[in-house]
Amino acid sequence: MSNPYIILPIVFHMAAAVILMFCWFQPRVQKLLSILFSLIGLGISVWLFRLVWHEGFQVTQAGNWDAPFGISFIADTLGSTLGLLSSISLLAVSIFSTVSMREERIKFGYFPTLHFLIMGLQGAFLTADIFNLYVWFEVVIISSFVLLTLGGKKTQLEGALKYVSLNLLASTFFLIGIALVYGLTGSLNLADVAIKIGAVENRGLVNMTAGLFLVAFGIKSALFPMYFWLPASYHTPPAAISAIFAGLLTKVGVYAMVRMFTMVFIGDTFMSITLSGLAALTIISGGLGAIRQQHLGKIFGYLIICHIGFLFAGLGIFTELALVGTIFYLIHDIVVKTNLFIVAGLMNKLTGSPFIKEQGGLYAKYPLLSLLFAIPLFSLVGIPPLSGFWAKVYLIQASFETREFLLVGSIIFGSFLTLWVIAKVWSESFWKDKPEASSSGKPWSTFSTKEKWGILVPIMFLSIVSLYIGLAAENIISLASRIAAELMDPSAYINSILGMK
Amino acid sequence: MMLLIVLSGFLFSALTRPIGSIFKQALPWVFTALPVLLFIYFCSQIGVVSSGDSLTWTYKWVPSLGLDLVFELNGLSLLFALLITGIGSLVFFYSTYYLKGHAYMDRFYGYLSMFMASMLGVVLSDNLLALFIFWELTSISSFFLIGFNNEDPKSRKSALTALSITGLGGLVLLGGIILLSSIGGTYSFSELLSQRNSILSSSSYCWILVFVFIGSFTKSAQFPFHFWLPGAMKAPTPVSTYLHSATMVKAGIFLLAKMTPLLGGTPAWNHTLMIVGGITMVYAAIHSLFRVDLKGILAYSTISALGILVFLIGVGTEKALLAVGIFILTHALYKAALFLITGIIDYQTGSRDVSQLKGLQHVMKPVAIAGFIAALSSAGFPLFLGFLSKEIMYEATFKYAEIGILLTAAIVLTKIFLLVAGFWAGISPFTGELPENLKATKKPSPILWVPPLLLGVGSVLFGVFPALIEQSLIQPVFANISGLDTSIYLALWHGFNTVLLLSILTLIIGTAIYFQWKPSEGKFARTLRFEKISPQTLLEGFAVGFHTFAGVWTRAVQNGYLRNYVLSILAFLTVIMGYRFYEGVSIYLDWNQLSEITPSEVIVVTLMVISIIFAIVSTSRTASIVALGVVGFANCLFFLFYSAPDLAMTQFSIDTLTVLLFMLVLFKLPKNKIFSSKRIRIRDAVLSVLFGLLIAILTLEVFEEPSVTDISKYYADNAYLLAKGRNVVNVILVDYRGMDTLVETTVLIIAAIGVFSLIKLNLNPSKEQ
Amino acid sequence: MKSLIFRTASIYLLPLLLLFSIFILLRGHYLPGGGFVGGLMAGVAFLIHSFAFGLKETRNIIKINPGFLMPIGLTICVLAALAPWIVSLPLMTGLWFEEPFKFVGMVGSALFFDIGVYLVVVGSTLIIMFTIADTV
Repeated sequence: MSNPYIILPIVFHMAAAVILMFCWFQPRVQKLLSILFSLIGLGISVWLFRLVWHEGFQVTQAGNWDAPFGISFIADTLGSTLGLLSSISLLAVSIFSTVSMREERIKFGYFPTLHFLIMGLQGAFLTADIFNLYVWFEVVIISSFVLLTLGGKKTQLEGALKYVSLNLLASTFFLIGIALVYGLTGSLNLADVAIKIGAVENRGLVNMTAGLFLVAFGIKSALFPMYFWLPASYHTPPAAISAIFAGLLTKVGVYAMVRMFTMVFIGDTFMSITLSGLAALTIISGGLGAIRQQHLGKIFGYLIICHIGFLFAGLGIFTELALVGTIFYLIHDIVVKTNLFIVAGLMNKLTGSPFIKEQGGLYAKYPLLSLLFAIPLFSLVGIPPLSGFWAKVYLIQASFETREFLLVGSIIFGSFLTLWVIAKVWSESFWKDKPEASSSGKPWSTFSTKEKWGILVPIMFLSIVSLYIGLAAENIISLASRIAAELMDPSAYINSILGMK
Repeated sequence: MMLLIVLSGFLFSALTRPIGSIFKQALPWVFTALPVLLFIYFCSQIGVVSSGDSLTWTYKWVPSLGLDLVFELNGLSLLFALLITGIGSLVFFYSTYYLKGHAYMDRFYGYLSMFMASMLGVVLSDNLLALFIFWELTSISSFFLIGFNNEDPKSRKSALTALSITGLGGLVLLGGIILLSSIGGTYSFSELLSQRNSILSSSSYCWILVFVFIGSFTKSAQFPFHFWLPGAMKAPTPVSTYLHSATMVKAGIFLLAKMTPLLGGTPAWNHTLMIVGGITMVYAAIHSLFRVDLKGILAYSTISALGILVFLIGVGTEKALLAVGIFILTHALYKAALFLITGIIDYQTGSRDVSQLKGLQHVMKPVAIAGFIAALSSAGFPLFLGFLSKEIMYEATFKYAEIGILLTAAIVLTKIFLLVAGFWAGISPFTGELPENLKATKKPSPILWVPPLLLGVGSVLFGVFPALIEQSLIQPVFANISGLDTSIYLALWHGFNTVLLLSILTLIIGTAIYFQWKPSEGKFARTLRFEKISPQTLLEGFAVGFHTFAGVWTRAVQNGYLRNYVLSILAFLTVIMGYRFYEGVSIYLDWNQLSEITPSEVIVVTLMVISIIFAIVSTSRTASIVALGVVGFANCLFFLFYSAPDLAMTQFSIDTLTVLLFMLVLFKLPKNKIFSSKRIRIRDAVLSVLFGLLIAILTLEVFEEPSVTDISKYYADNAYLLAKGRNVVNVILVDYRGMDTLVETTVLIIAAIGVFSLIKLNLNPSKEQ
Repeated sequence: MKSLIFRTASIYLLPLLLLFSIFILLRGHYLPGGGFVGGLMAGVAFLIHSFAFGLKETRNIIKINPGFLMPIGLTICVLAALAPWIVSLPLMTGLWFEEPFKFVGMVGSALFFDIGVYLVVVGSTLIIMFTIADTV
């Protein structure tokens, strides 16, 4: 169905950022507006999601040029779901930012950049054009780079340097890949490419190009052995920024990978095996990293890597069942990881240290807060029936069915390491008495009411969402199954783009 | 109804806070009412179940995953449900006094009722996935309960160890369950039962066994995973009673018993269980003799008892399975009593050292009576329930073909040691002279001593009148485990035979050892010499080694040098692309298709190459930048040659600006130094040349592909007609692909913001707000 | 760099270059040029001016904070892109006035789009250059 308004999520956030830029010198106005815009943004995403859910794919052709001549946008179930999740994350982070972000940062363009970032993500999820996807990636990289360096502390810059260098490397590969795809098919439109690439006779060329895309998106989604930028940078910026990064940045890489490898580079056994192998290594390597860390941000950073492995496991197995697992995990992970980094930020503040060794006593002092923190922590572990559990069942089942026992082992092992790490965090930060010598944090009672709500509302909001994902798993599974079915058979996607008018 | 019964515990647990604020001090009593009511309910169902029916209740939870909450009350689950709620009632009741005035009383009851609910879920679920969910929840609640005294580092460590082992086991079990269902096509146990044959003959049968065994052995503390259980004794004594002796650790046994009709009956099943159970029971029984801490003794004797159960399931004959049913009940009754008694002693005297405690019967008569009963039941004296179970056990092993003697010897040995351990825990503290320092011990509250006494009453009552449980409880259990409907009968007197002789022998030797052998710190210390080769040390050593490996691995991968990161990524890409290239790319070059090389092109290319080499080798940053600028301008020329003035113009402006900006910045930096050694530089050079080569070949070959030019042709044809512009490049930029331009424009803005704030905003290093 | 010749030259250079940049912008649709290059030219013009007279002078000339040129430019772009929504066409669809204008030729939404791009480019180049030049 053609609907010119489906790019509203993109345009809206662009407009939001522009308006916020006009309020450059009024931090208070920016805070209010940002929350307001995030709310409206969420509304728009919900609208789009419902529209797609009930009425099927929505397409628009920019410039009214028929595909493949112009740039096509399509809202399919996957794209609109991810858009919705980004909006959820944004709302939480935006509220959290109003109380946690220093005034100086807000005066230097924090909020506009944040909305630009979300605009980039929404764009990436909606576009059906490879080069346009690249452009959205640029937006994401540059705005995340700005957010990462905002405030310019030494550690931040050091991390940002690695972040931006490696991500630009990824962009370069991506761009080379696009050029080659254009050379091979003469088209940039995803649907058009998907059809034409099958006709290329020299398969070796297509396979080599697939390698370029694998590495380009592999870097962005923090796949082993390309994840170096993530542990180097994610713990350095303020909690709100880490939170939005953790929730969404790597996921857009995963999204792109899923798109390319379910539509364009399909039926490539070598690539499937490679992806499975990399997934296993990523899970293990991330888990190993996590158990060694003391810095809460780094622990969670490595856990992100570990769980990226879960996502790729499904893509490597490449059966419908496995993709259901991947998509379910993706949905769960975005919400939980965002929440986790907000929680980490608050824990850091309450105890005055980001190192779990120096933290402690949270449970004794704040039993109710601890209970609230337990929701994202244990959702992450996947203690059934919380949200992290369901996807694993699918992934393990799918690996058994394709007899990829290595993946079963890695998934079980990765889950175990996650369990162990989170139990350790719980034991150190919550159970242990606070060590005498360490610096004292800011007690909860000294937070102003506004601050308390500004912190609690996002955490509660995200916790409720992840509880919903866990307890109403049936709904999420039917969503994930529909997406997986669409991914396994992209003809509907291709037809809606090319076959209209 | 059943959903409510299982979930009521979770509900209470979730509502701990409001209940606490409404009932305040009465909170423990409110919680205690829950297991009591449930116990009454389950008692009322005995009649229905013993008549051979089973009650089923279904709620479709996640149908697309095949996960239905199906609660089935049959013999086996009823026995466990009764134990869970019955002992639960006593423990809840006991704790009201035991933990009186504890600051975190509310949490304690919250966790405890969460545990009870999960445990009920485990035993009642017919759906294996649901069973797993509840299984994990028991592990988690156990984690919270072991770490209840969370200020104590040992307590935290034990909690973490217990969770690691049971958690890992749980995940492996999940693997087993999923594998099972992928063969049987369902998670429903009752449906799987009908596919027993296809499962047994499946090639994955062996794996299923391994997975299920690991899950059960970790949960039920079987050798070599047993060591988390003694550590778990850091939990408050009521918790040890409830979780780590009577119920949770029996979940593994429950699972094995439940699986017997589905997976059992094969040599692999029987032999593994016999071996593991046998080792565990003997090993732990010996260990229990060397402990001086009452809870330590009980922990090891519990492990041993669990070993016996696994062993019996392994033996797998009708008698053995019957023995399983009875022994589960027997053990729960006497061991829970012993734990509760230990708790009382600890509470009243502050000591659990068995070598110090003496003559307590003078200050706590009722406790002593309970202790005696429990110890005698544990020893298997006639007229106690323990006697019955022991008889049947001996009978089962004795009649086992071929190696029956060996098995009997093992179990007799274990039984002898367990008798001694039981006597130490239940009799020794109460007999003899009351030492001076214990004279002041106060009389315990009835709330403490009533529960163990009640358990004792149970042991005696069922021991004297086995008919009470024969048909009502044990028969259905037996039917469930064995899958047979043979009638069973329990009797005190089996006639004078070898089994009775063995039984008497056990009692005599055991009692003799009890009087001869005094546990002491010294003996305990001697066992420590063997710690070096104990599974605990080995596994912990493995864990430490693993941790070290994790460190080495992580440091090797994440080594902090950007250049290494870039190098590994490039190397990875080169390997991938190189392999694909090697795998099969047809290479052909059509020279005719290539246009003639003009002199100007040669000049420009030479210029480019020289500049690139210069940029690489130059030690001056400025020179390198200028050289790169030259490359850019050379590119411009190429654009001009191929009639793309727009591109040339843009490239030119951008290049000028960048070089100017770079100059502004680099002006301030020191001279470039060469840090890397020659070897590294050569390595890098080789890699970049290889990569460059691959890309070059790829590009060339892509150009050789028959090109599809629909789109560029369409652009050129329609630029003026439809888009009203003669400059195709501009039309592409603002019309065909205007969206790209719009977005790139935004990128520019963000970049500007970035540069601005990066340079202008300098937060002082003071703390974050 | 602040030689007299350079200064004198740049007094005339600035308006000339600016005019030229606008010229490039407007003719873009038919001949080489366009908003992006035009904006870059204008940026270079101001940069040269600032080399000659110092940043302060240049800022005085521009009057408006270049930072605001960016959102203004982007607003124009977005509006030009979204205008087709009014008539329920997909965004970026070219809309054209019937009659050509003097000097400029055909005017359509694409031109406004290009003007927006121009402004954004000018704004951001200026911001970047000023910030860097400020600190060096």
